[in-house]
Amino acid sequence: MAVIGIESSAHTFGVGVVDDGRVLSNEKEMYRIGTTGMIPAKAAEFHVKNSAAVIARAMKNAGVSARDVTGVGYTRGPGIGPCLQVGELSAKAIADELGVDIVPVHHGVCHIEIARVLSGLKNPVVLYVSGGNSQILKRVEEPKPHYHILGETFDVGVGNMLDSFAREINLNPAWGSSVEKTAHGGKYVDLPYTVKGMDFAFTGLLTRATELVATNSKEDLCYSMQEVAYSMLCEATERALLLTKSKELCVAGGVAQSTRLKEMLKNVADEHGMKFGFAGNEYNADNGAMIAFVAERMLKAGMHSRMEECDIEQKYRTDQAVLP
Amino acid sequence: MKMFSEGAEAKIYEDELLGQSVLVKVREEKKYRVKKLDDEIRTLRTKSEARVLYRASKLGVRVPKVVAVGRFSIYMERLGGKLMRDSEHHPGIFTILGTMLGMLHEGNIVHGDFTPANVMLDGGRVAIIDFGLGTMSSSIEDKAFDLLLMKRSVDAKMYSLLEESYSARCKEAKSIIGRLADIEKRGRYQTRTLM
Repeated sequence: MAVIGIESSAHTFGVGVVDDGRVLSNEKEMYRIGTTGMIPAKAAEFHVKNSAAVIARAMKNAGVSARDVTGVGYTRGPGIGPCLQVGELSAKAIADELGVDIVPVHHGVCHIEIARVLSGLKNPVVLYVSGGNSQILKRVEEPKPHYHILGETFDVGVGNMLDSFAREINLNPAWGSSVEKTAHGGKYVDLPYTVKGMDFAFTGLLTRATELVATNSKEDLCYSMQEVAYSMLCEATERALLLTKSKELCVAGGVAQSTRLKEMLKNVADEHGMKFGFAGNEYNADNGAMIAFVAERMLKAGMHSRMEECDIEQKYRTDQAVLP
Repeated sequence: MKMFSEGAEAKIYEDELLGQSVLVKVREEKKYRVKKLDDEIRTLRTKSEARVLYRASKLGVRVPKVVAVGRFSIYMERLGGKLMRDSEHHPGIFTILGTMLGMLHEGNIVHGDFTPANVMLDGGRVAIIDFGLGTMSSSIEDKAFDLLLMKRSVDAKMYSLLEESYSARCKEAKSIIGRLADIEKRGRYQTRTLM
């Protein structure tokens, strides 16, 4: 028995195969953003060109044949429309060809669930940070099991902000990890810090940092921007942890790849004697295995969808996704 | 000093000052923040909270009275009663709260975390506490956020009582409530579920 998961919400076309919670393979091809960022139509075209090969490679590396496949899951959203559609169509083709169950899943829930289960946490407060999203969540059972949003960004995701700044100062590739590399050896300069309860905002920080490019070094700005943004996230997360009287903290999503962010969050958890968990970076970056991982759990819980119900939703909210 | 409660923002201790029982709110160091940023945030927030508490008190809104202020600590009056969050309450409380928030906003004080966790009830007496995220601000947007936080935390009927007395007390209420509707329309938050 094996479940295939397909991820295509942004620049990554990823396919993973999971059997009973074990990841058998996790293959991907990534559209190169260069210094321009993502162009939706080009990214979708990239996915179309690579989909068949990545699916074949994932099945080969997992050692499964078409007969072993019992279900397929794909990212319904949130993400970029044209990119999501490629994943949806690939999943439908597999379901149709092999006559297996299909289930659309929420991209963020998959990042969270694989990180939570692999790090052995039960019901943590979750900081989900990626390009498009920055949310603080906790599982709630009513009216249906879902991740309740305790706090989130008022404007852009933290990754999106770092990516925009990377483009502003011509880093290549223009995304957050390049900002983290450039930050080494930087000194702290004052930047706006915006936290409202458990919510936060990043555009003021981006605007100010951009204004300071002319008079400050890239290293200082990257360092300060990262310190301020991550401190904001830590403060809001700490508030959520104490408000919900939680004993566990989990971080997931693309920005969870940041060593500095994890170091700061560990400090918050240690301060209150809480457990802190996260997944390996192969699951923090966009990937197909996490989709397969959650799809398998949903299929086991009887949550498959009829083919005609399967669609995409660019603004699929985390709290709208029902959990298995 | 004996610890009274621990929040994310600060720790609160029990103490006595000149024979009077007081609470001491101390913003302790956050090791995850770089020192310069951390010191700045803690000094600024302590100063601003003390100033806001003093101003609110002068406006006639019931808040803990400030007794003394240090760099990272505020000594304040210890109020009796229970948190609104943890107690049964009469709908009349919302009418009082609306008037109190109207008075604060008229005086350009924004609370910053206006929820039932920051309201103390002592019999029929209502007090607003924890101005840790409070600011002096005339911004319509900031004021609208005070309403938004309370609206998200309480029953819609109760909230409408609050909005009614708020409107009667605050001259700019109409544009603030209008902005609140705008904020709620901002894509991301339309469907946010309540806990």
